[in-house]
Amino acid sequence: MTSSSSSKKLVPDQPEISGSTTKSLRTKMIKSEDSEKRILNKKLKDVEISLPIVYGNISFWLGKKASEYQSHKWTVYVRGASNEDLGVVVKRAVFQLHSSFNNPTRVLESPPFEVSEAGWGEFEIAITLYFHSDVCDKPLNLYHHLKLYPEDESGPMSTKKPVVVESYDEVVFPEPSEGFLARVQNHPAVTLPRLPAGFTLPPPVPVEDAIRKKRGDTKDHPLSQWFMNFSEADELLQLAAARQQVQAHIAKLRRQISVVDGPHQQQLKSLSDQ
Amino acid sequence: MDAKDILGLPKNSLPQEKKPRPQKDSQRKPDGISREVYALTGGLAPLMPAIDASQLKKRPPTDEKITWQWLPFTSSARKDNLQLYHWTRVVNSVPPTGDYSFAKYNKSVDVVKYTDEEYEKYLTDPMWTKEETDQLFDLCQRFDLRFIVIADRFPSSRTVEELKDRYYSVSRAMLIARAPSPGDVSGHPLVKEPYNVSQEIERKRALCMVLSQTKHQERKDAEVLAEAKRIAESRMVTRVAEESELPVPSNAAPESAERTSVPGDTVSPSSNVQLPSAAVAPSTATADNASTLASLRMLRVYLRTYALEQMVQAASSSAGLRTIKRVEQTLQELGVNLKPRVPTKLVCAEHLELRKEILTLLNLQKQLQYKEAEGSSFRDGSYADTPGTPKRLYRGGDQDRTFVPDMSFGGERVGKRDQKRKAPGRLSEAPSSPAQSKRPRKFKASDL
Repeated sequence: MTSSSSSKKLVPDQPEISGSTTKSLRTKMIKSEDSEKRILNKKLKDVEISLPIVYGNISFWLGKKASEYQSHKWTVYVRGASNEDLGVVVKRAVFQLHSSFNNPTRVLESPPFEVSEAGWGEFEIAITLYFHSDVCDKPLNLYHHLKLYPEDESGPMSTKKPVVVESYDEVVFPEPSEGFLARVQNHPAVTLPRLPAGFTLPPPVPVEDAIRKKRGDTKDHPLSQWFMNFSEADELLQLAAARQQVQAHIAKLRRQISVVDGPHQQQLKSLSDQ
Repeated sequence: MDAKDILGLPKNSLPQEKKPRPQKDSQRKPDGISREVYALTGGLAPLMPAIDASQLKKRPPTDEKITWQWLPFTSSARKDNLQLYHWTRVVNSVPPTGDYSFAKYNKSVDVVKYTDEEYEKYLTDPMWTKEETDQLFDLCQRFDLRFIVIADRFPSSRTVEELKDRYYSVSRAMLIARAPSPGDVSGHPLVKEPYNVSQEIERKRALCMVLSQTKHQERKDAEVLAEAKRIAESRMVTRVAEESELPVPSNAAPESAERTSVPGDTVSPSSNVQLPSAAVAPSTATADNASTLASLRMLRVYLRTYALEQMVQAASSSAGLRTIKRVEQTLQELGVNLKPRVPTKLVCAEHLELRKEILTLLNLQKQLQYKEAEGSSFRDGSYADTPGTPKRLYRGGDQDRTFVPDMSFGGERVGKRDQKRKAPGRLSEAPSSPAQSKRPRKFKASDL
């Protein structure tokens, strides 16, 4: 498709690729511990790793049990878009709750990254993601507006059906280190780029923490039945339809312009004849 | 209970209460502010220093007795001995002394005086008699250099510019003549920035021209400018596209400098490989996004939605606010989310492409409108002969001294002006504004 090819081109590609391949080949030949390290820290120029995430909240009304200050039970979370374990990339997540909560800064050192609380008010929650040292030393901020009350205010509140608000996004790491790429290349949580031809990846680092991985995903999450689905295909379909429409319109306008250009010249002639 | 309640300020009990709190938790909201209000600050320190409530009712110690009395006063600004009275604040029955407090605002201009000899020596001017000059300086003194008023009262007919020129040149001549050396007064504003009559006349003429323009003329000007902008943009795009063939595109650097600097700058050892490979795939998308991508890479980690926002911004940076709004309106009409719900890389790329296409569409619409407007103005005859140059000639008309562009085309075009007058009747469908014309014209164009 044209768009995907043009987006590929966004990065000035060829030269860096050839540079890095030759380099990695050279280092392979040397094969010393020092060079091994250099491979892992080296930045890959035209590659980006992205981590599809979903963040948001699920809130249950407490119904009869609701008190003035605790009318809802809610959980705010950051999860993998397909409920994979984010722990392979994210080291820590910090949720900044409203200052009226006890210990409003909640630090989660391991997945699942979620905070459950009870309250009555909606407010903005800042979520800061910290990454493993080989990934990125800079944190990333997400903002989620906690939603407790259904959009349709007139409707009766139900204790059975929660209010769910989720946003899909992708955390993008441009120019990841080779070490990071090697570590996550087979991990389902991350989206890897199609590697340029002739590019050799360092051998995958064995996933030593199989147990941790099990614990970190949200596939069997008690709330998982409420998780929303984010379909890229639907979105693409919609965009493709819109583009088709616009392109048809453009073609029509082009025709009209050429038609207007035609008589225009004639008119000019008749004017000068007068 | 009182104003403090109304203002929602804390009660007097606050100072005592506040002391133990801050050590406990500096993040905690202060008492007396409702949680919602405090949330608006985002937990930040208030911009304005908070007023200590205890200060509000406090008055300065009053061991003085204040009365207001109707007393006479004198003002140094008055030359006559008129006696006026006013209410004044008397502290401990000691009336205030000193000058009237507003006297200092009685400013007057220090108009230069010259003697007869000085006039003969420095100030003679074939255009001005001594009597006229005297009159001018007398009026300048009387009306504090309000030249509009002076011109109004001046007995012989002189323009404001002439009066100003005479006044300033005389003042300058006297200043230089009286100075011990020319260097002493070279910094004086009168000498440093002499009054420029011709520029002043030109300035007023231009201003008058702009202000006396009709709506119609303004619209045509705007059209011309828009067209010029469009051309400049399309040239820029092609130029940037050319530049983007190079590995380090930068819009700011001049072309030649960039070309020469490239081979040295690139760290990659295979820089000679770049040219053929890059030449294969130059694309406008590359040019638009290169700098955005570069700045994104600097972030080392970012959200896809953020990247999309940046690219949308970069892509529409050349478009006006209205155009951007129209793009979004079109997106909505097409039933597309302004912000993709599932912003994957592919979706974002498609979204950007769609926006670009809509921009193209809008540009084409504008072009069509313009072309049609141009066509109809040929019928009007208010433009000149060749389609390539109407703007310039029109501009030339603008600069004409008569300020009436239609007249500027002179006798040879009289016939066409007549035609124009007839035009509304004959071409009744010819609309007065491009906005209105859009629908019927489109209709017509497709009918053709």
